[in-house]
Amino acid sequence: MTPLAMLLTLSSLMFTLGLLAVLTRRNAILVLVGIELMLNAANINFIGFWRYGPTDPALTGPMFVLFSIAIAAAEAAVGLAIILMVFRHTRSTDLNKLDSLHG
Amino acid sequence: MIPLLILTPLILLAALGAVWKARPVHAALLLALTLALNAILYLVLGADFIGLIQFMVYVGAVAVLIVFSLLITRPGDEAEEIARRPRSLVTGLACSLPVLAVLLFMVSRFETAGSAATDARSVSIEQLGTTLFTTHAPAVMAVGVLLTAVMIGAALFAREPGKKTPTPSDS
Amino acid sequence: MSLEHLPRLPQRLVEMLLQNFGAPEWLVLIAGFLVAASTVVGVFAGGFALLSLVERKTLARAQNRIGPNRAGWFGILQPVADGIKMLTKEDIVPAKAEKILHLLAPIMIVVPAILALGVIPYGREWIPVPLELGLLFFFAVGAMTEVSIFMAGWASGSKFPMLGAMRAISQMVSYELPLMICALGVVMVSGTLSLPDIVDRQGGFHLGFIPAWNLFTPWGLVAGLLFYVCSIAEANRCPFDLPEGESEIVAGHMTEYSGFKYALFFMGEYLGLFAISGLGITLFLGGWQAPLPGLDFVPTWIWFFAKLCTVIFSFLWIRATFPRVRIDQLMRFAWLCMIPMALLTLPAAAIWHFAGRGLLSWVVTVPLLLIPWVIITVIYNKRLAPTLRTYRFAE
Repeated sequence: MTPLAMLLTLSSLMFTLGLLAVLTRRNAILVLVGIELMLNAANINFIGFWRYGPTDPALTGPMFVLFSIAIAAAEAAVGLAIILMVFRHTRSTDLNKLDSLHG
Repeated sequence: MIPLLILTPLILLAALGAVWKARPVHAALLLALTLALNAILYLVLGADFIGLIQFMVYVGAVAVLIVFSLLITRPGDEAEEIARRPRSLVTGLACSLPVLAVLLFMVSRFETAGSAATDARSVSIEQLGTTLFTTHAPAVMAVGVLLTAVMIGAALFAREPGKKTPTPSDS
Repeated sequence: MSLEHLPRLPQRLVEMLLQNFGAPEWLVLIAGFLVAASTVVGVFAGGFALLSLVERKTLARAQNRIGPNRAGWFGILQPVADGIKMLTKEDIVPAKAEKILHLLAPIMIVVPAILALGVIPYGREWIPVPLELGLLFFFAVGAMTEVSIFMAGWASGSKFPMLGAMRAISQMVSYELPLMICALGVVMVSGTLSLPDIVDRQGGFHLGFIPAWNLFTPWGLVAGLLFYVCSIAEANRCPFDLPEGESEIVAGHMTEYSGFKYALFFMGEYLGLFAISGLGITLFLGGWQAPLPGLDFVPTWIWFFAKLCTVIFSFLWIRATFPRVRIDQLMRFAWLCMIPMALLTLPAAAIWHFAGRGLLSWVVTVPLLLIPWVIITVIYNKRLAPTLRTYRFAE
């Protein structure tokens, strides 16, 4: 198994774990945990391809990860702010209970 | 190769814990561990700057944010979560295992195409900065606007509606 | 081998010894690193013991007391007595605590502080780990502290630690922002993230006697002062010691700890204090550079430690003088005063860098910083500053 294949396998497994968390968790914040795992799985791919792929003067791999980290931080901040707002309305972060359309 | 062999199972175990642990705070802390190990993986692969940024942003900001909101929202009952786990697990696995199968199939296909450079590679901070502000300058500006908008938006969202912030004389 | 190389002496000795015995190259390298690391840890662990005594003595002097004077001459053995007391105490773990996290938290508080101390250049020849990304490394490991404080607060399974941890985290996150922004100005002007290089750029003298430190520039003065205030808040020290304010929440996240774990928290806090002051000295006070020309015969690390002692003493003085602020005042001060001013130092540093560091940049940057400073101060004093407290239930 080459190092690159190993990294790709790692990221596939991590992505699946993140997906599993998104699908099975009921707490909205823990769904966000799953989303972070999926994003990081993608980042591992970028770094892996940069490290073991052909040389790239534009450094697309690390650059993409840099932007992805910035976006992920933004996503977490807004996501958690929305969850807090929902919590204030319904006193719950359980996604199964958030099924009514009126606040 | 040896650091990779050590790190990969550790990352997977931590990620598994983050998905499996019923107690939300444990899951969040294990997420922080996963992300920290990820940062070490980047350092091992030669992307020093990215690794340190990953550590700073994810462990210092995102994980702390998640943990903090868990405290504020008082997450629900663990026993209930465990009780309904088998049912949700069946659904979850039914949806995610095909995805895993497709991904692993693609990885195995890729390996047969195989083109792996093994020379050590590192990215210097000058190189990174120059590329960031020439080739990727529009993206940097877009991210700057986005982050500003997010900061204002999050502050507005998190504000208690209709409640003025208390002035010092209120106390 | 001159006095300049004295701190590296243990490392050189071990390396020479191992080479004499014909040890392989990697073993010599690892042993050298270990000894260099232990030198730093040893120096600052000794500094921690000494500081705990000096702090009590200084506070006693400020409050017209004598302070510890029983153990040894002028209480010089007090740290040893404290250490023995802490080590022999019973280690209590609450029944509702999360055992593993409860154990891990004090360890994880000390580790980042020691890691951060490793990248600071203490002298021209004494740089434990010369990293290219030293500054980034410092902040990255500093990020770990928040997680470990949360672990301490949550794992104790009781209310006061939880409240203390929430206070500590919100305070540290809010003050980390201006701290980093202030450091960014230095990075912009120096053009490097490596701490030894940042010190090198501050060498030399203006007009023959004013040291070319970053503090003696308009943006550097503002950034340095902000950095100073932020580092007090980051180190959880008075007047920003809310997370462990005894009169309010017992001891914050440390309430449920006893014995050696409690001592570890203190050690982490003091080592963090050394680290953040060391970083401030490196960024703004010229690191190991001598304050006046013609003093080159003094070993450079002596200058570093002289500056460190001065900064730490000023922290003690502030602790003895200022009353504690309230949590809402603390947060408002961070977001409404510190962060806007810190952001303004960035354009000022850019102008300083590109307008030639001469008279022109003084003329542009001084008003750029002074006018907002005055405006913020006026608004803060009029609208937001703490007013006289009225008591509803007393009097």
